[in-house]
Amino acid sequence: MLEIRNLHVSYGAISAVRGVDLDIAVGEIVALVGANGAGKTTVARAIAGLLPYQGEIRYAGRLLKPNSAERNLRLGVALVPEGRGILSSMTVGENLLMGLYTRIDRDQAAADLADVQSRFPILAERRDTMASLLSGGEQQMLAIARALLSKPKLLLLDEPSLGLAPKMTDFVFEMVLRLRDEGLTVLLVEQKARQALKIAGRAYLMETGRVLTSGPARELLEDHVLANAFLGAGASKA
Amino acid sequence: MLLQQLVNGLTLGAVYTLIALSFSLVMGILGVLNLAIAELFMLGGYFGFAAILAKLPLPVALLAGMAGAALVAAVIERVGYQPFRDAPVVTPMLSTLGFSIILQNVATNIWGSDPLQLPDEVFGARFTLGPVSASAMQLTIVGATVVLVALLAFVVQRTALGRALRAVAENRDVARLLGVSAGPLTLLAFMLSGALAGAAGVLIGLHYAAITPYIGVEIGLKAIAVMVVGGTGRIWGALIAGPLIGVAEVMTTAYGGSQIRDFVVYGLMIVILLLRPQGLLGGARTEQGPRV
Repeated sequence: MLEIRNLHVSYGAISAVRGVDLDIAVGEIVALVGANGAGKTTVARAIAGLLPYQGEIRYAGRLLKPNSAERNLRLGVALVPEGRGILSSMTVGENLLMGLYTRIDRDQAAADLADVQSRFPILAERRDTMASLLSGGEQQMLAIARALLSKPKLLLLDEPSLGLAPKMTDFVFEMVLRLRDEGLTVLLVEQKARQALKIAGRAYLMETGRVLTSGPARELLEDHVLANAFLGAGASKA
Repeated sequence: MLLQQLVNGLTLGAVYTLIALSFSLVMGILGVLNLAIAELFMLGGYFGFAAILAKLPLPVALLAGMAGAALVAAVIERVGYQPFRDAPVVTPMLSTLGFSIILQNVATNIWGSDPLQLPDEVFGARFTLGPVSASAMQLTIVGATVVLVALLAFVVQRTALGRALRAVAENRDVARLLGVSAGPLTLLAFMLSGALAGAAGVLIGLHYAAITPYIGVEIGLKAIAVMVVGGTGRIWGALIAGPLIGVAEVMTTAYGGSQIRDFVVYGLMIVILLLRPQGLLGGARTEQGPRV
């Protein structure tokens, strides 16, 4: 579904991503893990079309253009950004309606909105509440629900557990599994590598802008040297 | 006397509100002060006058002023803003200042520097209620302002287009991730802003029954003061600050003399900048994020 070849992204003179290759097949959960500053978020933002880059990103056989987020969303690539990207000047309901912005199939869009609200009842209950007043977990639900309303085929989740309580993190990861079971393809960018590797089929480990290693997520978890060096103490015992 | 001054102040405040909304719309979405808005206001007045002199009805004149100013605003956006959108914020501001001077020059060359007068009989009727009297034009100004603000509020608050404008204003990257193309919306924001300024130009021109190429400067500066008092970039702040400044100005002139009028208006602006730089509707001083 997604093929990245020799991706390079720079912020001015600083090279943030250097020659990354990455593949995602339909229906997979792929984890992109690594320390803070490894370049994970930059890769996700490049795929979403928020950044200029060099190299090739192909989605469903089609070459994506750099810096073309609006087009990429219409093609089926949605990003839930790090920090959630909630529009805090709007209500919960308005944020959800923004998820339908590109939809032209009005009847189906209305049905999808009802479906999302039944999937996340708290969002329906708090429809008229300002989004900024939601808890961190509720905001994450809102961000994911809003992204789902655009009917993506590839969902990019950037640090979905950031700032969440452990219980809410578990809820988010369980939801990712459910979405995968429903046919969605997911790229999960996470610093909580252990948990991400538990639900992912394959994973890429990044360090200083490069892919250090990749493979089946279970193998990375079980590699004691790798796990202790890059995934935090105790990772291999998970 | 006091009630009468209040009516006069509210009339003036209505016009200030429209132009301040015009400034705030662009400021709120792009963070740029479009200094050519004062001249869009002036041009709107001339377009409206042309329609009135051609014996067209007031609603048509209003639409002519709005449409003409919106088209000029579109040119300003394409030539004076888009090429500089990634430059430091002062660059597009200076570009719009250049447009402002050019537009004033163009108006002077087309219509001359002497005031263009309307015949006295246009909208001469007056209505009296007890001690208060208002001209048909004053009522038209207040009525048209209420209708235009209500329309703007509906578009911004209740439509997908308005939500998209607010999304771009709050976080351009997030808006893009939701499929919103900022480019066309920026153009739309400039055109809506131009239409509001054009409407204000038609209304104030008809109120004074005269217009000159220089009318935009003074009223445009007052509108900037209104925007600052209401909250820079908070488009609804103008709804409070416009009438406030209009009434303050008229009351000062009536009871203190016109020589201290501007002292009060701009003094109020400076006091707000010192004590509450985020404006009356600007939320907490440390608040980050949404501007609209």
